[in-house]
Amino acid sequence: MSEQFNKEDADRTAAEWRYIITDMICRAGSGHIGGALSLVEIMHTLYYRIMKVDPANPAWSGRDRLVLSKGHAAPVLYVALAYKGFFPAAWLGTLNANGTKLPSHADARTVPGIDATTGSLGQGLSVACGMAKSAKISGGKNSVFCIVGDGECNEGQNWEAALFAAHNKLDNLVAVLDYNKLQIDGFTADILGLEPLTDKWKAFGWEVFEIDGHDWDEVCDALQKAIAVKGKPAMIVAHTIKAKGCGAVEGKAESHNIRIPDQAAYDLYMGGLEIQEMALPY
Amino acid sequence: MNNLHDMEMRTVYATVLNELMDNNPDVMCLEADLSKASGTNPTVVNQHPDRFVNAGVAEANMIGIGAGLAIEGRIPFCATFSCFASRRVYDQIYLSVAYANTNVKIIGTAPGITQGPNGGTHMDFQDIAILRAMPNMHVYSPADPYELRAMIRHMAASKQPTYMQLVRGQVAPVFDETHTFDPERAVMMREGSDVTLVSTGYMTAFAVEVADVLAGEGVSVEHLHYPSIKPFDAERLVASARKTGGVVTVENQSIIGGLGGAVCEVLGERCPTRIKRLGVPDQFGEVATEQYLFDKHGFGPKHIAAACRELATTGK
Repeated sequence: MSEQFNKEDADRTAAEWRYIITDMICRAGSGHIGGALSLVEIMHTLYYRIMKVDPANPAWSGRDRLVLSKGHAAPVLYVALAYKGFFPAAWLGTLNANGTKLPSHADARTVPGIDATTGSLGQGLSVACGMAKSAKISGGKNSVFCIVGDGECNEGQNWEAALFAAHNKLDNLVAVLDYNKLQIDGFTADILGLEPLTDKWKAFGWEVFEIDGHDWDEVCDALQKAIAVKGKPAMIVAHTIKAKGCGAVEGKAESHNIRIPDQAAYDLYMGGLEIQEMALPY
Repeated sequence: MNNLHDMEMRTVYATVLNELMDNNPDVMCLEADLSKASGTNPTVVNQHPDRFVNAGVAEANMIGIGAGLAIEGRIPFCATFSCFASRRVYDQIYLSVAYANTNVKIIGTAPGITQGPNGGTHMDFQDIAILRAMPNMHVYSPADPYELRAMIRHMAASKQPTYMQLVRGQVAPVFDETHTFDPERAVMMREGSDVTLVSTGYMTAFAVEVADVLAGEGVSVEHLHYPSIKPFDAERLVASARKTGGVVTVENQSIIGGLGGAVCEVLGERCPTRIKRLGVPDQFGEVATEQYLFDKHGFGPKHIAAACRELATTGK
């Protein structure tokens, strides 16, 4: 639910999230830091200014849904949910530990507040279509949000879902595309070009917004406008920077999945962050 | 409901599903441009257009939509040809259904050689094997219209991710109105002492005939029908194998990994027994008649009978 927004506070929280995400991944020894850090402002805006959710009742039927189709960005979702109070923040220190409730990819089976289990790319937008279709049948007023990756758009299933959402006029579906221009093997433009990306979504029948995914106002404004779209689904193409805030790998393809074998690597990744110290909740 | 006895199996599927939709607003019908082949068009299309979803020729998306609907508490039945409902969408079923534990019902129509004139590109002999290997999946294959009806009703009432084969045409009834379905239980079709004959789905009606013929020859066949290949009723198989000492399996599938595979796994560990698996050997399908394919691959009635005679005399 929307809360009073203060940009300085939000900047501070975003810096904390980046610190925690990096620390979680470093403790785990490896992890998908790039695609998690590129989503910080988007995820914060969703949970603090846009989505109707109830941490005390994660299954509340009237809640807005979120499908993190790029499930490898789970650490940023875990941090958002912990900050909102869906589960104890102490869990964050258990990322990928044996027996953890917080695995590398988003898992609705173990994590309160996660609506769909994801990890195999390309499937989340279809699942979100099913959720949105269900709400249409029952007259539910909730929105269904889905975050897809740019590399993920290589998967053909996304485009099947794109056709379906438009054909079925799923105007309760809002997708956000984390366009950080990088995938595992390099630049998206070099691996399998997506451009003209906004034109593609428009041609598929979606209302498309194009924003700076790190600008608080642009993110919030686009989400509000996307929710208000009638008669068709909405796509927000958010230009982002992979691993934003982690100086060692910011904007580099190798940030997709980093390995932290020793203290030197830990110091390298933590050293490039905006804040250098904070009390961790775990 | 009309008399099931002479109905095509797809008509039974559509009729029962339509009844379930009449009574439960959460039951849904999903198709991928094969609704006429599945039988749900026009019955469900006309009577429940609000809960009929045609995903188009996009099976992967259909499975994902089913998962999303199931997350919202709905009970989606997603149908397409078995080749597309299994091998084409294996990863979608694996992650969005089985791993995520979403209550999706997947209907694989025209299994095995019943694909007929669509031939080798469409004949899927592996769906039972590959879906049986997936954790948290139930895998069913009904023998006749009465079992199909009981099975669909069971599926709608359970929260179990499930794959079911559906032959489209008529199948000779082997049960009656009183038949019930329990996924934990194999069905004792005939008690015997010389050889155990294990069948599932489409082949069970043939196996019933064979057992009758062999009884006239003095060969006592114990016939077990497995409507559920997973879960698999191991106890009844082991007890029968101990009694007869020889087991013949027959299925409208590859002999690798399906019903025959399940039987070998159980008996290999618990009761080593001489076994003959009948079905399609490690080969693709082709455009051909049923008789041609039975003869080519050796799993028609005469081959079942021959295998039973052999195991009955040499199995012990």
